Amino acid sequence: MTVEILLIVAFGGAVLSYLLGKTSDKGRDCFAVFISLALVAFVACLYGRSVERTFYFGFFGIGLVLRLNMLSWFFAITISSLGALCTIFSLSYMKDRERTDFYYLMMLVVNAAMLGIVLAGDLVSFYVFWEVMSWSAFLLISYNKGPALAAGMKYIVMSVTGSVCFLVGMLSLYVFFDTLNISELAPAISSASGGYILFILTAFGIAFGIKNAVLPFHAWLPDAHSEAPAPFSAVLSGILIKMGTYGFLLLLYVILGLKVFLGLGRGLLSYHSILCFLGAVTIIVPTFIAMLQTDAKRLLAWSTVGQAGYIILGIAFGTNLALAGGIFHFFNHALFKALLFLAVGAVEFRAGTRNLDSLGGLAKKMPVVFIGALVGICALIGVPLTGGFVSKWLIYKTLILEGSGFLAFFALVGTWGTILYSYKLIHNVFLGQLPERHRTVEKAPFSMQLPVVVLSVAILLFGILPGIPLKVINAIGTSFGFEPLNVTLWGIASETGALNTINIFFAVLIVGIVVWLLFCSGAKSVSVRQQDSYAAGAHTPVDKYHYTAEFYNPLYRMIKPFLRDVTDEIYYGIAFFLRSCAGILRRIYTGDVGFYVTYIILFLAFLIFVQLKWKPW
Amino acid sequence: MDRNQITKWLKAPAKMANKYSLHAIYFCTGCGIIEVPPVITARWDAERFGIIPAATPRQANLFLITGYVSVKTLRAIIRTYEQMPEPKYTVGFGSCPINGGMYWDSYNTIKHLDKYIPIDGWIAGCMPRPEAIFIAVTHLWTLIEKDMANGYIRYKDNYESYRSNQEMALGKLEWPPLYPASDEHRGGE
Amino acid sequence: MVTKVMQIIFSPVLALVVGVFFLGLARKIIARIHWRWGPPLVQPVIDIVRLFYQKSVSHGLVFDLGIILSLAGSIVVVLFLPFGRWCPLDGSGGLLVILYIMLLAPLGMALSGGEGANPNISIGISRKLILSLGYEVPLLLVLLAVMTRYKTISIMEVVNVQQGTSWSIISFPLVLSGVSYFLILPAILGLRPFDVSSAPQEISSGLMAEYGGKYLALATIEHAFVLFISIALFVNMFLGGAANPIIFFVKMLVVFVPGLFIHAVFPRFRVEQAVKYLWKWPTLLAFLGLIMTMVIGG
Repeated sequence: MTVEILLIVAFGGAVLSYLLGKTSDKGRDCFAVFISLALVAFVACLYGRSVERTFYFGFFGIGLVLRLNMLSWFFAITISSLGALCTIFSLSYMKDRERTDFYYLMMLVVNAAMLGIVLAGDLVSFYVFWEVMSWSAFLLISYNKGPALAAGMKYIVMSVTGSVCFLVGMLSLYVFFDTLNISELAPAISSASGGYILFILTAFGIAFGIKNAVLPFHAWLPDAHSEAPAPFSAVLSGILIKMGTYGFLLLLYVILGLKVFLGLGRGLLSYHSILCFLGAVTIIVPTFIAMLQTDAKRLLAWSTVGQAGYIILGIAFGTNLALAGGIFHFFNHALFKALLFLAVGAVEFRAGTRNLDSLGGLAKKMPVVFIGALVGICALIGVPLTGGFVSKWLIYKTLILEGSGFLAFFALVGTWGTILYSYKLIHNVFLGQLPERHRTVEKAPFSMQLPVVVLSVAILLFGILPGIPLKVINAIGTSFGFEPLNVTLWGIASETGALNTINIFFAVLIVGIVVWLLFCSGAKSVSVRQQDSYAAGAHTPVDKYHYTAEFYNPLYRMIKPFLRDVTDEIYYGIAFFLRSCAGILRRIYTGDVGFYVTYIILFLAFLIFVQLKWKPW
Repeated sequence: MDRNQITKWLKAPAKMANKYSLHAIYFCTGCGIIEVPPVITARWDAERFGIIPAATPRQANLFLITGYVSVKTLRAIIRTYEQMPEPKYTVGFGSCPINGGMYWDSYNTIKHLDKYIPIDGWIAGCMPRPEAIFIAVTHLWTLIEKDMANGYIRYKDNYESYRSNQEMALGKLEWPPLYPASDEHRGGE
Repeated sequence: MVTKVMQIIFSPVLALVVGVFFLGLARKIIARIHWRWGPPLVQPVIDIVRLFYQKSVSHGLVFDLGIILSLAGSIVVVLFLPFGRWCPLDGSGGLLVILYIMLLAPLGMALSGGEGANPNISIGISRKLILSLGYEVPLLLVLLAVMTRYKTISIMEVVNVQQGTSWSIISFPLVLSGVSYFLILPAILGLRPFDVSSAPQEISSGLMAEYGGKYLALATIEHAFVLFISIALFVNMFLGGAANPIIFFVKMLVVFVPGLFIHAVFPRFRVEQAVKYLWKWPTLLAFLGLIMTMVIGG
């Protein structure tokens, strides 16, 4: 009763807000925010329920099933909260743009479609919602005209390719097992042969890999995420990619089941190790490419590709700690990546640019956004006391203890690369000297500050008390058949070295207070203005005293030749090849009616000739 | 050197520390700087006395104004001096800062540096040998011990007269006045 | 419980004393190599006291808090390191937590320096982070080899195993990792030829260009702690820790002094030369060490 009401409210709210927007702007804004918040409350009330409902629409005799379990609930709460926060952010971001009715409609439809995906209990409804999400995302990515149109085109072509692979897999499952209900597929598929399982894994793997931007399939992500409007970039990076993660979780742990997945073998060329290897490479290469970027949102987009590698590595590795780490990292990544995209969006809104070479010094002008970005950076790096630390710690620990030294090495080097590009982001935007042209930048409006503050508080809360989400994740893990973890409010206790965040928190707090007292015991300091900086005896030149361009210049020169985006060039190569083939075809199908009439007449003449000569009919 | 007398340390740690840890800013103001590399290298080792060169004025507390001061250099000297944190000590090195020295009739040099920057002590010579520098350092220690090395306090108290002298020599200064009002916030925006 | 609290209070103090002694010893030994007398061994203490009595300039709240965060991070790392038989916060995550909290030190200084609004500082931070990336690659391979060999992430266990059997640096697959760590130790400590990030002549001491007074004092104390932490980690991982702090201190001295000899005579590498060196031989050795460890079966 409740699950379909959730979906009806979500979709209906979207359409109603569009219609309301035709009459009044403020009414539509309030209604959109109200609907998103109502969805959050609704999903929160559904905690702990486990529901499965079937609807028959006379669709090939297949029932469409809606299902709610712990996994769906966890994803649903993330989707709805992030959707609500980004809608609140859009209130000021989209204030004076055109086609705002369309924007809010699409935001709410994307939200609703993602809720539909996680609540779907059979593959047909999953596919329907997946497609609704894909094309509504495409419409939103191409919202700003210009380069966004090309970015959207790249995205939709790759996404449709993935959907076609999904369709192939789904149809083959239907032919073999005569059902598409997920809970019925699970026991049935364990009887299939190894080759068939590999085929299913590949077909679905391509589909979810494209959505989750695993390395060969990531080419759409940097363009799409940097060209979309900022609150939607937050949703894209935070949640939309993770629908691929949800797909992988369904595929590997629900449909295939733990025994079959672990029984697939762990040799060097097995699916498991190839997926882990792809995850590890996805961590390293995009992290280094992110260091070379000069556009703030593009840097964050490449960072998303890198962090998605951690999630895939965690999920594919197959132990309970790794799964917990992967799912917790999904949750943390949604929080901090959305926070960073919203912060960069606020800066773009006020300063008018997101080019890292020309910003600087905005920490004093936009302090709330600065602190939010700082917390986001710390979570991205994985500083202890933020949530990112716990999820990365879980992944590292299981990689080390299971003896996969090289995967652990890739994951750890990824963290150091993350430190480099996140420092570049925060230095070039918020620290350093303030350029003259940005001297009149004002603070971000309240409706932009609110999501930033809420997300920062959430990150810190789940970092100090990780037991709150870890309890839910533990329930998910046990529902897949893993052994339960020993979760306490402060961390995980186990025999080979416990993680006790409360120890670390108090240690840092008390030591910090001691150091602060030591600091205050020194002679008082004089606060100076920004221009009074060391310049070898000269007065600091205005606007020329900030080091931003090519921030990691020595490293660029070393690693740039190794970091060409080969997959992008391959995809463009394929696209141009197909276009030239179509160009050859154009010689025949010229679009000129005269040619077509000539073809028809020639063909009729040929038929008459054949009839007269050999009289076949 | 009374560096090792514990009772003196306990009675006046600030004074003792200021004496035995003089970091000189490595700003080569004029030709006199040629005598400084021998002082800080192996033959006449200044590090025994606790003197090492510091990279920026923020980290330094001793300013050696070595050699003649041209008008262009005076700007940099004033800026560097103002960027040093207190307590700070300046030493005029060579005859030129004292009274113009060899360039007593040049149109381009400053004859009496004391009008623009407070100087705690002078070392006569053209150039002073390293031994003279060490004797000067011991004299500076005596001054610090007796609380007489208070050039920075003189600067703060008589800032208007120093600033008007500076403006007469250099024209319009690009930095705002250092000490109009409170010590908390220096300069304006 | 009481001994734990005493250990927690005294570990950082002891680490500070050892670190400051190493700073003084460094200046003395380098001076003697240069055929001069050098300052007294307590000169860093005199410098730090003078810096606390000197006023300074501040560029804002982040400028203040960054250096405090950095020093707090270093002190917390000391709490997690075994020193002799003491290890105050033993069961809270081990080597991974140390690797993570060690990040707080450069991050704090980078944040505070960024607020300093000086391109010298920014260049210094950029060079420091690039150099960190350079030495982290072999360092991670080395630490992973040790963790895989002893099948644990707790340093105290690594020390206990070595006390029981033999030092890691003479046991077969880990000798490669040990040599590799010794080769990258100057980079971690900021000794020449790897002190490009705080080059006084080129970028006016980089990160510390705007640090005066108490900020510079805290930065010097931080440098002392970093010296202690890096050398102590090496001694714990590869030279068997020690049964009591005195022998531990002697081992640290044995590791530190050769680094000083190299520091006294070498010029400075540029950043890309340093990273090329760090990613060539030490990484190769550490990589071989890790492969051997995984093959031999840990």
